[in-house]
This record gives sequence, structure tokens and C-alpha cells, in this order.
Amino acid sequence: MKRVQLEIVLGTIFVLLSAAIVIILGIREPQRLADYVLQQRGRQIEFGAAVFQNNCTACHGSQGQGITGIAPSLRDEHFFTERLSEIGWGSTLEDYIVSVVTTGRQVSTRPQYVGGGTPAMPTWSERFGGPLRDDQIRAVAAFIMNFEQYALGELPTPVPIGPVVDESTPEGRGQALFTQAGCVACHTIQGISTATVGPALDGLAGRAGSTVSGLTAEEYIHESIVDPNAHIVSGYSPDVMPQNFAEILTEEQINDLVAFLLDRTQ
Amino acid sequence: MTFINNILKRLNYTQLPPRGEWKEFIFKLIDDRIRIITAGLNLRELRAIMRGDPPTEKPNPRYKVITTSFVAHLRPRYYPQAATWFTHTFRLGFFVTFFFIVETITGIVLMAYYVPYPDQAYGSVLAIESNVFFGELMRDIHRLGAEAMVAFSWLHLLRTYFTGSYKGPRSFTWLTGVILLAITAWLSFTGYLLPWDQLSYWAVTVGTSITESGPIVGPTLNLVMRGAPDIGAGGLLRFYLQHVILFPLLAILFISIHYYKVSREHSISLPAVVEELELPADKKKEYNRRIDLIPDLLSHEIFLIALGTFVMLAILYFRWFHSPLETHANPQSTPLDTKAPWYFWWLQGILKIDPANILENLLNPILQPLLGLFGIEFTLELSKLLDSKFIMGLIVPPVLVVILAFLPYIDKNPSRLSSKRPFAIIWGISWIFIMLALSYMGLPEYGIETPAATRVIQDLAPEEGEGPLREIPYAELQYAHGVYTVGEDYGRDLCPGLAYQPDHDKPDNVVIGCPHLTAVFNQFSERLRVAEADGRLPDLVARIVVEQFQPGMVRVTPQVEWSDPETGEAKAYEHTYFLHENRVLGSH
Repeated sequence: MKRVQLEIVLGTIFVLLSAAIVIILGIREPQRLADYVLQQRGRQIEFGAAVFQNNCTACHGSQGQGITGIAPSLRDEHFFTERLSEIGWGSTLEDYIVSVVTTGRQVSTRPQYVGGGTPAMPTWSERFGGPLRDDQIRAVAAFIMNFEQYALGELPTPVPIGPVVDESTPEGRGQALFTQAGCVACHTIQGISTATVGPALDGLAGRAGSTVSGLTAEEYIHESIVDPNAHIVSGYSPDVMPQNFAEILTEEQINDLVAFLLDRTQ
Repeated sequence: MTFINNILKRLNYTQLPPRGEWKEFIFKLIDDRIRIITAGLNLRELRAIMRGDPPTEKPNPRYKVITTSFVAHLRPRYYPQAATWFTHTFRLGFFVTFFFIVETITGIVLMAYYVPYPDQAYGSVLAIESNVFFGELMRDIHRLGAEAMVAFSWLHLLRTYFTGSYKGPRSFTWLTGVILLAITAWLSFTGYLLPWDQLSYWAVTVGTSITESGPIVGPTLNLVMRGAPDIGAGGLLRFYLQHVILFPLLAILFISIHYYKVSREHSISLPAVVEELELPADKKKEYNRRIDLIPDLLSHEIFLIALGTFVMLAILYFRWFHSPLETHANPQSTPLDTKAPWYFWWLQGILKIDPANILENLLNPILQPLLGLFGIEFTLELSKLLDSKFIMGLIVPPVLVVILAFLPYIDKNPSRLSSKRPFAIIWGISWIFIMLALSYMGLPEYGIETPAATRVIQDLAPEEGEGPLREIPYAELQYAHGVYTVGEDYGRDLCPGLAYQPDHDKPDNVVIGCPHLTAVFNQFSERLRVAEADGRLPDLVARIVVEQFQPGMVRVTPQVEWSDPETGEAKAYEHTYFLHENRVLGSH
């Protein structure tokens, strides 16, 4: 066979094979597109989880369960079934979440949370001076929407293994409480939290004993937790810190928290 | 009748044929039309071409096409037989052109969907992949074609160098070729930014930052390229316009100049053995025999197009290549292991060389004892005088490109035979190795120290891309909740009770335990143990925590705690990964 004939034969085969590939890919294309949409949603939820972990857990809890006195749960039945009619929102829940996260709230609709409702939810969108891009906010909303089956009780909620802390000591239990009770939302301790709403706690162990005469360090910290308005650090306002920790926490838990603070803030 | 006569008049016939000659008349009518459409070939001639017969008329109507048709006039009438040897050209230049056309076609399709604005660019690329029929295919072809175009341009340059074809009348063609190589690289690089993911954003940030170190105009040049101190809306638009308008136009201009020289002035070079050696007359005659464009070259080119199209589609069909799309660009967080596209690794490698440091290390051991004899204490500190980023980023690469472009005017050796230019051949081969070595040095693995714990976790699950941890099937993770501690759980199957079917269509295929998770955990353990043994991670405590976080999503957290080898301070590093069951679906 001459080269040109070989090329004609091979070329024809290549053209036919190329056409076959395009046809096969074309037949599969609708399924691929559908899969891609699902997959993209999956990855959006993953991405939203990471954004949530970095920005939202301080107030809404490490699993979005909310923190009493600070911020509401994002995974209870009420949120998924009644919240929209309560607030009078005409569109979807996901859009509602996007809207609230984007602009924040000047005044809370539920004054039982932080400081009687002010400050309420901060503004998160870059467009209004917040830290998040719009695609990140959309991802957070997708992530919260994924709680639906837990919230409605369609799936049992798993017990989180959570951060591994040594629960056998008061300090270890106190550290877990510092996160779970929401202290991290407002107070800075180096290596744990970076919030600036309340006074920073680094060095607290050193100064607590001498802040109020007649109170030891333990007594001062204990009192500041159960009755925040008793002594206000200069430069901060009263009535910002929730007043109900004595009701939420047991006496033993408060003592664990004190032990942790004394240990960690030396 | 007047109607038909009018048509005939328009076709330049004055009257209808007599009865009995209608058949010839209609044939001639069609024949004339065909000759006009094909710019010179009638039916008989087309038939002869198809059958491989010689031309049917004189002068050769196949040459007439080349003078009449615009498209055909761009092409040469013929090449000498020896110039068409496959082993002489490897068709590399042809394929670069082929890829350029592929890029143009797929690029126009992509332009219909792409939005060059930071808030929307990434989303529009996602939409191309998820919402456009054959959108992913278009993007994959575009990316594959771009990388192939860069690769084939380099190969074309090497071929021309080693066959000595840049010499003599082809000096200027070589120069335009080097310019085209630079244009190709820049086209590829400007396209790199457009998906607006972490990979592209940081590769381009690193790339453009080189200009910043330039004297006087450096910061301004950087500003002009980026459109702002950091790459943002302005920078993206500038890169987009360069990618879709400025550089394609420049490429067309220089391809035209480059090809005009080949087709009209000096043709493809003959192999040096044909051109320079004394050959028997009959061989010489055969080697210089004309191979006509029509039909021989053209049929061969059509074959090459079929081949190229098929190979590209096959590569994509079997998913040997896939254009990456990482997470959305984030100016606030630089991913670990940022790297340039592979064809710029050599530049990154060059940047890691510090000439001042090398000179210091070289000269100080000699200078110091010497000056010490005279009682002078002196340490040469060149790093204050020589800014390595400026020299290696802005001086060396352009000098190299200029030397390359003006090579024909530097290399005065008239011979093209490799035996008569041994120095040039050795020089060329050494440069291939130098470029490969520089490219290796450009990899993030080379010369950049990452803390041990970070490195181990990063290798399991890179910040961008997949990695073994993210490739653990969800079927394993959803039943593998628990805390796996290094030193306690090493070497055992982490989920002895588990059995699952990775593929629902194949019920016989059952996986026992969780081999993927176990393998990742074992790798995690082994690497950390090595770091502990060589003293980088004393008092090591490490674990991988797997927990259900949401319906269809687990959280995997590798944690490492250790004492700082120097201060003894307690240190910890952990990273959380959320893995959704739908993250890998279908063909992905």
C-alpha cells in the first residue's frame, strides 16, 4: 500500500473514531451535567462548612446548635419550619439565610439573645464592609440548609466527637465549656479565640486577685460569670454579657471554667 | 423563454444549444461552475486528483488555484521531496498552527459564557462545566491545546536548532519564531488567570511580582499589568483583553510573517545531508523532486488534522487530562506550594538562585585569609549590592531570550551538518538539561522548608487539589467514625466490621474494611514517626478524628502535638476537612 493510501485509510478511521467519541460523550453529557451539579453542591456544602467553622461557630456553636443567650440554633425544627412565616419572608429559607448573613441585623428580632438584641448579627458581605465574598455566603447558606434532615428529626443527630480535650481534669472540662458556653464569641485568649467584644482574658489570672479588694482571684472570676454587671472593666459597657450563666451552667461547671481560666491565663 | 435566456446571459451564454447537445451543454455548465468554486479545477481535474493521476491540462491547473484563491495563495506550490521527510520536521510547526486554530475555535465558544469580572468569573467557569452542553469538553480541549501548543513550540524550536535550519536565509524566520514562542507563552499565561481560582490567582501574583523589583519603571510596570497594587477587577480585565484580543492579533501577525518567509521565500530547509553532501545525481534529483501542495501535501495535512483531533479527543475520553479548577481565588490566603504553570518552572527555578550568595561563598574563603595576611578583617557582602530577584527575574531571562532570538547572527558557522558543528550540538543538549534542572528547582519541593507536621498533613490533603485523604471513598468514612491515634492503631484495619460495594453496578465487587482510610492513616503515622525519630517532632502525639458532621458529610481532622525541639514549648497543628458524599460523582 502506498503511503497516501494508508493515510486515507487511517485518516478515515480517525475521523470515524473521533465522531464516535463525540457521540458517546454527547449521549453521556446530560448525565454528566446532572452529576456535576450535585457534585458542585456537595463541594459548596464542604466549603460552606469551612467558612462556618472559621466565622460563625463563636456565636452559633461549633455545630450550629446555637449558644444560649448569645445566638439562636440554626438546626432546630423551628428554624426550618416556622422561622420564615414568623419573620414574614416570602422567598426560600436559603435566600433568607443569604440575606441575613449578607447585611447582618442592626437590631435582633429576638431580644433574648446577646445584650437585649444589640449588637445583633454583624454584617458579613464584603459589599457592606464585612469579610466574606458572596460565593462564601452562598456556601454557608448551602451548608446550613444541609442540616434539614437533622432538624426535622428525619435522621438521628450524631454525637459529635468534637475537639479532643482531657475531660478528666477541671481545666480540661473548663476549656470545653469555654467554647460550648460561647465565651469564645466575645473574649480573647491567645490560641483559642480572637474576639474583641468583651475584655481580653490573657493575664487574667495575674490581675484577678487584686482587681476588687476583698475578693480572691477565684471569687472575682466566679462573680464575673454569674453576675457580669457586678464589676465592669473600664472601657466596656454593662448589660452586654448574658446575665443567665448561673442558670445555664451548674455550679460545678462554673468552677471548672474558673479553674481553666486561672490555669490558662497566667 | 426570456426568463431562461436571461439566466443564460448572466452565465455568459448567448444561446441555447441545438437539440441533441443538451447533455454536453449541462455538463459544461456544471463544469464551469465547479472551476469557479474551486478557483481553477474542473471536474476532470478533480477526478484526476482523486485518482492520483497527473494534471489533465497545461498549464497545470493545480498551480492556478494557488494564484487565484486567497486561502490557497498563502500556501507554497510545492516542497522539495527531502524537505517533507517526517524525520526532518516531525510536522511540529504544522501542529503548532493546528493547535492555534483549535484554541481560536474553542476560545470563541468559551468567550460566549465567560465573564471577566472577579465576582463572576469563577462562577461562570463553574457554569461552563455544569450548565453548558459540551462545556467541560470545550474547556478541556482549550486547556489541552494550550499546553500542547507551548510544548510543540519548544519542540519546533529544538528541531530547528538541531537541524541547523536557522542559518543563512532563515535567520529572520528564526527571530520571528522566537517572538512567537514568547507570544505563545504569554497567551498561555494570561489565560491562566481567567478561571479566577487559587491556582491561577497566585501563579499570576507570583509571576507579575517579578516586575516589581525592576529599577525605576518596575513598580509602574507592575501597576500597569495588575491594574492596581493587587490583582483585582482591573487586572483580570487587562489579562482577559490581552488573552482574547491583543496577543491573538500579534500571534496572527507574526505567524503570517513567519509562514510567508517559509512559503514564499526560502521554503522548508532541506536536510543538511541533502544540501551539503555530494550525492549521486539520481538521488539528488529525487530529493529535489517537487511534491505539490495539491494533492500530496494537502492530503497529508488532512490526515494530520484527523490524527490530531483524534488524539486530543482520545486523551480527554480516557480522562488522561483534565483542566483543573480549584477553589475561588482568595487574596487573603496564599496556598502552600504555590507554583507556576510547568512551562514557567524554569523561571521559578532561576529565581531561587541567589548570585550574591554564591559569589560570597566562592570568594570569601579566598579573600579572607588573603586579606588576613595584611591584618585586614573583611567579609564580602554582595547581597546588599545585588538584588537577586531583580537580576535573576528581570535581567537573566530577557538576556537569554535575546541571545536565543539573535542566535543566527551569533553563530557564524556556515555548515548545518551536525558533524561540522559539534559545539552547537553539545551546547543545545546541555541547554535541554539546564532547563530541566531549572524546572526541577522551580518545584515547591525544592529549597523550601515546611514545618514537619504541616508538610505531612499537606501531602495527605493539599490545600488545593485532591490528595489521598480526600480520595477516601465516602462509603468508608461514613462508618469509620472514631479517633485513630498514632502508635496505638497503626498497622491494623481501622474498620474491621465494614464491608461495602464501591460500585452499585458490580455487586460482586465487595471491599472489606476501610483500606483507603487505613492506608492514609498508616502513611500519616509513618511520616510522623520518621520526623519524631530524627528529632523534628519530640513528644509526638497525633491522631486522625473522623466524625459525622451533617447528613452526607463527615469531618476529618488530623491533629499533631509536639514540643518545639529548641525551646521545648508545646506546639500543635491541626487541619479540618469536610468531605461530602457527592464530592466525587460520575466520571470525576
